[in-house]
Amino acid sequence: MNAAHHLPVLAIVLPLVFAYLMPLFDRWRRGWCTPAALGVLAVSFVASLAMAWQVMTGGPYYYQMGNWPPPWGIELNIDYLAVFTAITMTGVSLVVLVYASKDLLHELKPHLLGWYYTLYLLLVASMVGMALTNDIFNLFVFVEICAIAACGIISIKSNKECLEASFKYLILSTLGSGCLLLAIALLYMVTGHLNFTYIAQALPEAMRLYPYNILAALALLLVGMGVKAALFPLHVWLPDAHSSAPSPSSAVLSGLVIKIYAVSLLRVLYQVFPADIFEVTPVLNILLWMSTLAIIAGSMFAIVQEDIKKMLAYSSVAQIGYVFMGFAIVDFFALTGGILHVFNHAMMKAMLFMAAGAFIYSTGVRHLSGLKGIGHTMPVPAVAFAIGALAMVGIPLTNGFISKWYLVLGALHDGQPFFAAVILLSSLLNGIYYLPIIVNAFFSEPQGRVAAPLPLPRQMQVPLIILGLGCLLFGIAPSLILGLIYRASEALLGL
Amino acid sequence: MSITDVLLRLHQNNFYFFAILLFIIGFHTMLTHNNLIKKVIGMNIMDTAIFLFFVAIGYIHGGRAPILEPGAAHLYVNPLPSALILTGIVVAVSITAYALSLIVKIYQHYGTIDAEEIMRLRGGETL
Repeated sequence: MNAAHHLPVLAIVLPLVFAYLMPLFDRWRRGWCTPAALGVLAVSFVASLAMAWQVMTGGPYYYQMGNWPPPWGIELNIDYLAVFTAITMTGVSLVVLVYASKDLLHELKPHLLGWYYTLYLLLVASMVGMALTNDIFNLFVFVEICAIAACGIISIKSNKECLEASFKYLILSTLGSGCLLLAIALLYMVTGHLNFTYIAQALPEAMRLYPYNILAALALLLVGMGVKAALFPLHVWLPDAHSSAPSPSSAVLSGLVIKIYAVSLLRVLYQVFPADIFEVTPVLNILLWMSTLAIIAGSMFAIVQEDIKKMLAYSSVAQIGYVFMGFAIVDFFALTGGILHVFNHAMMKAMLFMAAGAFIYSTGVRHLSGLKGIGHTMPVPAVAFAIGALAMVGIPLTNGFISKWYLVLGALHDGQPFFAAVILLSSLLNGIYYLPIIVNAFFSEPQGRVAAPLPLPRQMQVPLIILGLGCLLFGIAPSLILGLIYRASEALLGL
Repeated sequence: MSITDVLLRLHQNNFYFFAILLFIIGFHTMLTHNNLIKKVIGMNIMDTAIFLFFVAIGYIHGGRAPILEPGAAHLYVNPLPSALILTGIVVAVSITAYALSLIVKIYQHYGTIDAEEIMRLRGGETL
């Protein structure tokens, strides 16, 4: 058997299996846990890169699970969007795990580390699964695994805030999965299929016979995925959950988990539903206005925050708005910008949360006004934070500029200059809350605990350096990833 | 469409009607009750409603359980929704277990399982 044929399933199953081996390793040889988890994620990452190579050279292909052909078996769809998402998920989570291996010793009780890796690997496996799957019920199963694992990596810290936040997250997340399952039931009812390709073939006919079923399914899907992706009015769980969690959890939750739902929604909207449904219902318009509100309101809320992690969490509400805006303006450039922002924001926000975690690790200060002069005593995380903050604002030479550039280009190309103005305005708003932190960090005298921080372990510095360089690299040479994204948006728009 | 037509339609589709009714009851309980246990109960009602809906899709009037006998041609119900819902039930059970264990922990920390009360203890922080 040629292993290259089985890469897609390998990328999902390997972390899944090792997730359950972690507690055993923890009992048997505690020192093996971290290298094993890192190794598994590295293999997944390499498998994703290899799939990207296969897709770029040989075109998209389908993988049949257990050799069962599509109407019966589960299929994995290895196309441009799928490999792009898989690379983002595995790559960023690998970097975050390096950081987590040291930071968690400080935030969790030592015997919980193995269990944390279990949840973490489950989370990554489910996200890769969601990226690759071509079967809607399979998508639901991965969504549920992701929901439990995501709540788990918050509540594992088991203090007052985390428990309350994760319960709120769990309830709203179950609500979202419930809506998703009902949408699946309605789609299955009228099409008789669970495979994306087959549903898409059956829908135009079903649309004529049972329009209400499909409209209800669309609405439920939008609400279900919207809750999970924290699209603006449905974002209430996010700030608490993401700010109280251990820093590595915040980094993956904010950087990756909310994005994967957005990408899944994108795939279902563009690949499953027939294009003419968007002429009957203003779904994309609703999405567009929700994302506009998210961008403005998220930034507004972020401005008034005092806690560094809470501010970053509200900033995520705004940033997921950009992603949805790119998806909702049906234009090649905007879609490219939206998909690119999934990748860029994953790097920036993971880095910002890890930098904030490094400040908290070394000084114990969470309050923004307490971080004056941190640039003098902790240069590496402070510079990383500065790069991330500049990328959030969208300063040229950082990757945030490129995705905003494409979004603005898309809005103008589609003849909707209002949304281009929204993006510019939100950049100003981002500047209002990010730039003072940088100024205070580098141009004030360090005082109190900030003046004498604990030394930062190397495992916590290296991920920050990698992601910081990544933000600059993809800001200077975006073509490294754009080739893949161009093809993904072409495929989605059917160009 | 007259009122008798509507009632007749409802009668013909009563599985779907009651499933949606249960779904709404569960949804409402989950979002409006302050008691965390009641929220979990609401969650379960909602999930059960979806399972009922899903299984009802596969039901064919007069069909029997899909156990194939060689040579006999019967009308069978669609087994696929039932098989899928088995997975759904497992997921719902695990989420319920997890939610209840969280509630135990919350009670240990806050001494209450009332969401309003917890909010007040945390300093009246909303949003």
